[in-house]
Amino acid sequence: MLTMLNIAFRNLLQAKRRTLLLGLAVAIVATLFLFLRAVSSSISERMIESATTLSAGHVNVGGFFKIRKKASAPILSERTRIRDIVTKAVPEASGVIDRHRGWGRIISPASSINAGVNGINYNEEGRFFKSLRLAKESEYKKDGTDQTFGSFEDMQKPNTALIFAGQAKKLELRVGDSLTLVTEASGGQDNTVDLRVAAIASDVGFMSNWSIFTQRQVVLDLYRVGPDTTGVVMVYLDEADQATAVMERLRKTFADNGFLVMDHDPNPFFMKFEKVSGEDWLGQKLDLTIWSDEISFVLWITNALDFISAIVITLLAVIIIGGIMNSMWMSVRERTKEIGTVRAIGAQRGFILQMFVFEAIMLGFLASGLGVLFGSIVILAINGMNIPITNDGMRLFMMANTLKFSLHPSQIVSTLILFSVITGLAALYPALKAARLRPVEALMQGK
Amino acid sequence: MLRMKTVTLGMTLSVALLSGKALAALDEAQTKELIKLVDERQRATGDYASVVFIDQKEKDGSTKAFEARVYRRDADDKWMILFTKPKAEAGKGYLRVEKNLFLYEPSLGKWERQTERASIAGTNSRRDDFDESRLAIEYDAKFIGDEKLGKFPVHRVKLTAKPNADVASPIVELWVDQESKNILKRQESALSGKLLRTTYYPGWDKMFSKSKGSDVYVPKEIRVFDEVEKGNSTTVVLRDVKLDPLDANMFTKAWLESQSR
Repeated sequence: MLTMLNIAFRNLLQAKRRTLLLGLAVAIVATLFLFLRAVSSSISERMIESATTLSAGHVNVGGFFKIRKKASAPILSERTRIRDIVTKAVPEASGVIDRHRGWGRIISPASSINAGVNGINYNEEGRFFKSLRLAKESEYKKDGTDQTFGSFEDMQKPNTALIFAGQAKKLELRVGDSLTLVTEASGGQDNTVDLRVAAIASDVGFMSNWSIFTQRQVVLDLYRVGPDTTGVVMVYLDEADQATAVMERLRKTFADNGFLVMDHDPNPFFMKFEKVSGEDWLGQKLDLTIWSDEISFVLWITNALDFISAIVITLLAVIIIGGIMNSMWMSVRERTKEIGTVRAIGAQRGFILQMFVFEAIMLGFLASGLGVLFGSIVILAINGMNIPITNDGMRLFMMANTLKFSLHPSQIVSTLILFSVITGLAALYPALKAARLRPVEALMQGK
Repeated sequence: MLRMKTVTLGMTLSVALLSGKALAALDEAQTKELIKLVDERQRATGDYASVVFIDQKEKDGSTKAFEARVYRRDADDKWMILFTKPKAEAGKGYLRVEKNLFLYEPSLGKWERQTERASIAGTNSRRDDFDESRLAIEYDAKFIGDEKLGKFPVHRVKLTAKPNADVASPIVELWVDQESKNILKRQESALSGKLLRTTYYPGWDKMFSKSKGSDVYVPKEIRVFDEVEKGNSTTVVLRDVKLDPLDANMFTKAWLESQSR
């Protein structure tokens, strides 16, 4: 094996110019591949983080209550019983909380926005507050300082609200200011509440533009619903990939306990109002989802990015394969006499085959290693610079306010393996041709 | 002595004023009748059509203007508004049938269910601003007092939504012209008591309805002021009001869709 590697390495050194050009091409494509994977991975991770921080657990027990045929509200009765069932059925859950869901117009003296209203119980939301950080004043105020104001603990006080930097910027609100929340109560009549801004948190991707948080009691009063109601029971798991299995288990458990459960619809609850309103039933039905269902409307971003990445990488891979095949053909032609000599002194066809394939694999490995090293340095440098994303479209695409890419060892290893395999496969056909040369013919051709 | 006389005169005047006010006050039945009369004067038993110009002013200074046609068939509880201008909005419409309000977006060719409280085309106006007046059916009325609104003597009445009434505003206050019995001002509040909208009706037109066999009063202009987002306001001007029968098949999704083809 060492002899083989030595030969491969020497051959690469011998054809310096070709190796350099081909290696550079492989390195560039490997860098691009790593970069695209890092972008896709960072967007996916931000999505999961945003979703599980702001609007969903890994598994969600939501639902709708219909008091009239043409109306539907995202309210669940029997909150205590539902939570008990969830707690017993999912003993492996790392946390079970519940939140009220609402929608309203948030009005400040300067402006207004529409946003989802989350009624939370402060004592249950350790995970939520731990994942947030108070926004610097500069994040929501022009010429603001790096100082933070307010505190998450103030959310324990009645009639307070937590908003995000993007919202504070649009509404021109500061900590301590008042905002008015206008919505329709459960009977369909207008209702309002005045809230004081207790804390302004840094944005959690663009999805935080659509959510504000207040006390559970505020939402109960606003919607005029009873204390044993809720919007959604959220289940957190240590293993997010267990979400589907847990959801199915809960679906069966709730059905066994006499609850009506809607068929699985992999969409967020707010996209189901029209469908539910049009259905011919009254009372309550549970709607079970997993975290990705609740953000399905933005999953197209990663899907589209993965698709574009696949096309780009395939095209580049085809070019690389073409280049390597061509290069190997040339190598075979140049080294026909050498092949003939080696075969004449007893080398088997397999040896010749391995010699060329190893050469290509070594080229792929070293070049992609160089590309991955360069790509990693660039990514780490960008991450270290904390570059703010000021363009709204870019923020929407990246789901972040600062330019950061996720770089994992698995991405580096898989890139190295992939490019080594691609170059190895590309060299296979010329190597086979070389291996099939008869020693006499090879020696004759090489004259 | 002089002081004693002043006090006595003051007390006498107060009693006289109080008794005068008491004489002018409406009792529960009279207040109920007043609200019924307000509804009745606006009620057109047949169909209704008008052209409306909606002008929306935002507090940031931006403005939006629309022209639309409003159609009503009160007997069947049907209502429709079809936007004709600007060009970008032409063909868009709201249709209310069987107590469901739908919005049609011609550029997408899609219908979307709306809540009854949805604002019309993002303005401060709502469906019920253009619809039949059903105050007596939907609200319990309480007389507040007689006062002057500008130069007009008015009855001020507070309306509270009946328990199962399907209305957006749970609390409404009306200033009804004592002479004409037309509404001059209306204020709507939320369940919390917060004032949400103030609406002024600066002018009314009188028209003869053949189907009703008597006059119908229609507002010439409606001015809506957002009391929460101060600075936002909407002016609706109604023109070409017609009370003639409309086509039987008008209040359908197909008809509204056909207007944008």
